[in-house]
Amino acid sequence: MRAKVDLGVIAYFGLNGAIVFFLLAPIAIVSVFAVNPTPYISFPPVGFTLAWFAKFFANPDFINALWLSLKVAAAVLVLSMLIGATAALALVRGNLPGARLATALFMSPLMLPAILTGLALFQIYLLAGIGRPIWGLVMGHTVVAVPYVIRTTLAVLHNFDRRLEEAAAALGADPARVFLEVTLPLIRPGVIAGGIFAFIVSFDQFPVSLFLVVPKGETLPVVLFNYMKFDLDGAIAAASMVSIALALTVVILLEWRIGLRAYLKL
Amino acid sequence: MASNTAGRVSPVSAQTRRGRKATAVGWLIWPALLLFALFFLLPLGVLGVMAFLSGNPVNAPAVHFTLRHFQRFFADDLYPEALWATLRIGFLTTLAALLLGYPLAHLMARAHSRIAHALLLMAVIAPMLTGIVVRTFAWMTLLQDRGVINTTLVALGVTERPLKLMYNEFGTIVALTHIYVPFMVLTLAGVIGRVDERLEDAARSLGATRWQAFREVTLPLSLPGILAGSLLVFALSISAYVTPVLMGGTDVLTLPMLIYQQVSSSFNPNFAGALGLILLAVSLTLVIAYNKVLAGLAGEEVS
Amino acid sequence: MRKSQTTRRQVLLAAAVSGAAVAVPAVLRGQSSVLKITTWGGKWGEIMKGKVLPAFEQEFKCSVEADQAFPYLPKLQASPKTDPLYDVLHSNSNEQWQAVELGLVERKITAKEVPNIADVFPYAVSDKIVGVSIFTSAVGLGFRTDKGLVPPTSWNDLAAPTLAGQRGGYLIPVNSLGQAHLMMLGRIHGKGFEDLDAAYKALEALKPIKLFDFTGQMEKALLSAEVTMGVLHDSGIFRYDGQNQPIEFAAPKEGVLALEQVLNVTPGSKVKELAFAYIDYMLRPQVQKELAEGVWYSPSNKKVRLEPKYDGKLFNTEAKVAQLLQVPWQWYNAKKDEIDARVQRILKG
Repeated sequence: MRAKVDLGVIAYFGLNGAIVFFLLAPIAIVSVFAVNPTPYISFPPVGFTLAWFAKFFANPDFINALWLSLKVAAAVLVLSMLIGATAALALVRGNLPGARLATALFMSPLMLPAILTGLALFQIYLLAGIGRPIWGLVMGHTVVAVPYVIRTTLAVLHNFDRRLEEAAAALGADPARVFLEVTLPLIRPGVIAGGIFAFIVSFDQFPVSLFLVVPKGETLPVVLFNYMKFDLDGAIAAASMVSIALALTVVILLEWRIGLRAYLKL
Repeated sequence: MASNTAGRVSPVSAQTRRGRKATAVGWLIWPALLLFALFFLLPLGVLGVMAFLSGNPVNAPAVHFTLRHFQRFFADDLYPEALWATLRIGFLTTLAALLLGYPLAHLMARAHSRIAHALLLMAVIAPMLTGIVVRTFAWMTLLQDRGVINTTLVALGVTERPLKLMYNEFGTIVALTHIYVPFMVLTLAGVIGRVDERLEDAARSLGATRWQAFREVTLPLSLPGILAGSLLVFALSISAYVTPVLMGGTDVLTLPMLIYQQVSSSFNPNFAGALGLILLAVSLTLVIAYNKVLAGLAGEEVS
Repeated sequence: MRKSQTTRRQVLLAAAVSGAAVAVPAVLRGQSSVLKITTWGGKWGEIMKGKVLPAFEQEFKCSVEADQAFPYLPKLQASPKTDPLYDVLHSNSNEQWQAVELGLVERKITAKEVPNIADVFPYAVSDKIVGVSIFTSAVGLGFRTDKGLVPPTSWNDLAAPTLAGQRGGYLIPVNSLGQAHLMMLGRIHGKGFEDLDAAYKALEALKPIKLFDFTGQMEKALLSAEVTMGVLHDSGIFRYDGQNQPIEFAAPKEGVLALEQVLNVTPGSKVKELAFAYIDYMLRPQVQKELAEGVWYSPSNKKVRLEPKYDGKLFNTEAKVAQLLQVPWQWYNAKKDEIDARVQRILKG
C-alpha cells in the first residue's frame, strides 16, 4: 500500500518533469543558437560567441522596436485588465440579456485569423483619415488581448462563493467595500493570469501589427520577421533571449515584492 | 448528488434575487462593448462587406455585389478540406495541451514552496516570450531530418533513415501544443488553486485513494478552467499561421494559410474576407455548442 | 510590341540630346518634401539606411520614409489611389504586374522621366517589365559541395532520385521564385513557359520536396544540409563568399531566371518628380556599384564597373544578360488562382 502511493507520487513528479522538459527544450535550442557562431540554427554548437547579442544591441532598429513593444504591451496590459475584468463581472453578475451571446462575441477576435483584423483596422484607419497612430496599434492589440482576461476571470467567477460577499454585506460592509475587500481579491488570480496573457499576446503580436505599424515605428516581432526574410541568424535568437530575460526579471521582481503565488492561489 | 443539488438551490436563488438589484454591475459591460464595437465589429463589418464585393471599393472602379467568393469556397474541395484540417489540428492541439497542461497546472497550484512556484511560473512563461516564429524554428531544429532528435537516433543506430517528425500534421501539432500549453496551464492553475485542498483531504480521510479524491473532487471543480483553457487553445490554434506553414511542409494546408496567401500574394482581400467569415462562423458555432455542453456539465457538478 | 520599341529608341535619342541637363529637376531644389518608398531589409536595408538614403535626402533636400515591413502591395491596395501610401514601390516583377493590373503603379517608365534609363540593359525595361528593373539576380540551383553531388548542369538534375526529400523548392502561391521555377518546368518539359500540364507533371516528379516561403530560409536549409540542392538565386549563395561555406551556385544550361528588383511610381503620388528622381538616383553608377557589391545583385546600368571579384560572377555584360530568361508574369498572374489550387493539391496528395 505504502509503496503504491509512493509510485503514484513518482509518476506525478516524473510526468511533470517531462512536461517541463518539453516546454524548455526548444528554449535550450534557442539559447544555443544565440551563442553559436554558425549563422544558422545547428546542433551541436561549434563554439561560443556573444557576437549575436552584440549585433542585436548595436542595431537601433532592434532596440527601438523592443522599447516600442514593451510600451505597447504595458498599455495593453492595463487596458485589457480593466476592460476584461469589468466585462467578466458584468457578464456573470449583471443579469444581462444575451450574456451567453456576448461571451461568444468576446471570444471571436481569437477565432478570426488576426491578419484580417489587422488589415480591416488598417483599412478603417485609412478611411477615417487618422493614419496609423500608436493608440490605433494599442487598440488593435487590446481587442485580441481582452478575450484572455475575460476568459480567465470568468473561470474564477464560476467557482465563486457568493456567500462570502453576502456575509460581508450582512456584517455591514457597503457595496464598494464588499467589492474592494472581498470580490476583487477573489477574482484577482483570474485577472492577473489574463493580464500576463494580454502582455504576452501584445508583446509577441505579429499579424495584427503587420498593417498597423509605420516605418521607424515597428514593433519587435515585425522587425524580427522582416529581418528573418534576409538574415536568419543568431541575432533573432539573441532577441528572444533578451525578451525572456526581461520578462523573467519582471516575474522575479513581482514574486519578490508581492509574491505571485499568493495571486495564483489564494 | 442529491444533497449537492439541494445545496445549490439557495445560492442560485440568491443570485437571481440580488441580480435584479445589481444591474449596476451590468453597466460594466460597456467599456468592453464599446471596444469591440469600434475595433472588432466595425472591422468585421468591413470584411463582411468586402466578402460580398468584386473588389476593394477604396480604389477599384465599378465594384459590384457578388457571391462568387463563397461559391469559390464550395466549388473546390481544396477549401472545405482546408477548413476540416484546420478544425482537426485545432482539436488535437487542444486535447494535447489539456493532457500536458493539467498535471503541470495542478503541480503549480499545489506547490507549497514559493521558490518552486516561481520556478514553475518562469518555466511556463519563458516559452511564451520566445516569439512564435523563433520557437517554431527551434522546433524545426529539433524535428527536421537533420535535426537534433533524428541525428541522435541515427547515431545511436535506433533508426537508419530519419523519422518523419515534421513536414506533416504531427510536427505541426507538436509545435502548436508547445506554443499553447502555457495558456492552458495559467488558466487552469488559477482555477485549481481555488479548489480547496481540504476537500480532497476530506475525501481521502473518508477512504478515497489519491486518484479517486482527485477524480471526484478536484477534477469536477476545475471544469470551468478546462472549459476556459480549451476554448483559448482551440481559438488560437485554428487561427495560427506561422507554425503550420513552417512545420507542415507540403502535407498541411489550413484556412489561415490560405487567407494569408490571398491577402499577401494574391491581393484578393475579398476572398480572404470570405474565408475568414466562414472560419469564424464555423468556429463560433462549435464554441457555443461546447460552451453549452460544458456549462451544463459544470452546472450539474459545481456547487 | 513594335510601338514600344520605337518609343524606346525615341526616348534614348531624347535622353542623349538633353543629356545631363535633366538629371536633377530644378524644381526639387530648395523644397522640403517627404518621399514614401518601400525597400528591402537585411544587408540591403543596412546600406540603404546607412548611406544611400541619407545622401539622397541631402542632395534633394527631402526626407525619405522607407517602409521595410512586408507585405507592401496589400497596404498600397488599401490606400486611396489619389493619396497612395507610397510614392515609389520596390518589389519583384510579379508583384509589379499585379500592381499595374490593379491600377496602383504606372505601366512604363522611360528615359524622359528617368534619364539614367538610357544606360540600362534592355532586359531592365523590356516588355516583360512594368516600371524599371534596377538590379537582377539569377535564379538557378544552389547545392552543397560536400555531399558527393555532381555539380548540376541542368534544371533536370534537381529531379535526381537520390535527392528525394533532400531537394528544396518554394511555396508556389507565395514565392515568385517558386512561380518562375514552375514556368521553367513547363518550358523544359513542354512547349514553353505557359505549358502548365507539362509543368504540373514535372512538379509531381519532384516529390518529396521541402518547400520554403522565402529565400533566406532556403539558404539556411542549404547551410545546415537539411536540403542538398535547391532553387535559389545567385545572390543567396554569393553573399556567403569568404565565409568558407560548402555551398555553390550553378547556372543550368537551359538558362537562368531573372529575379528583378523593380522600382515603379504610383500614379497618385504627390511628389512624382521626386519619385522619378529617386529612381534615377538608384540607377546612378556609383549607387548601383555600392549596392551590387553589398548584396551581390547584378546592376542594370551598363556603365557600372565592378571590382573583379564581383565582375566575374554577376550578370553585367551584354553576353551574360542574354542568358537571363524573363517569364510572362501577366499571363501567370491571370491564372494564379487556378495554378495555386492545382499546385497545392499536387504537393499535398
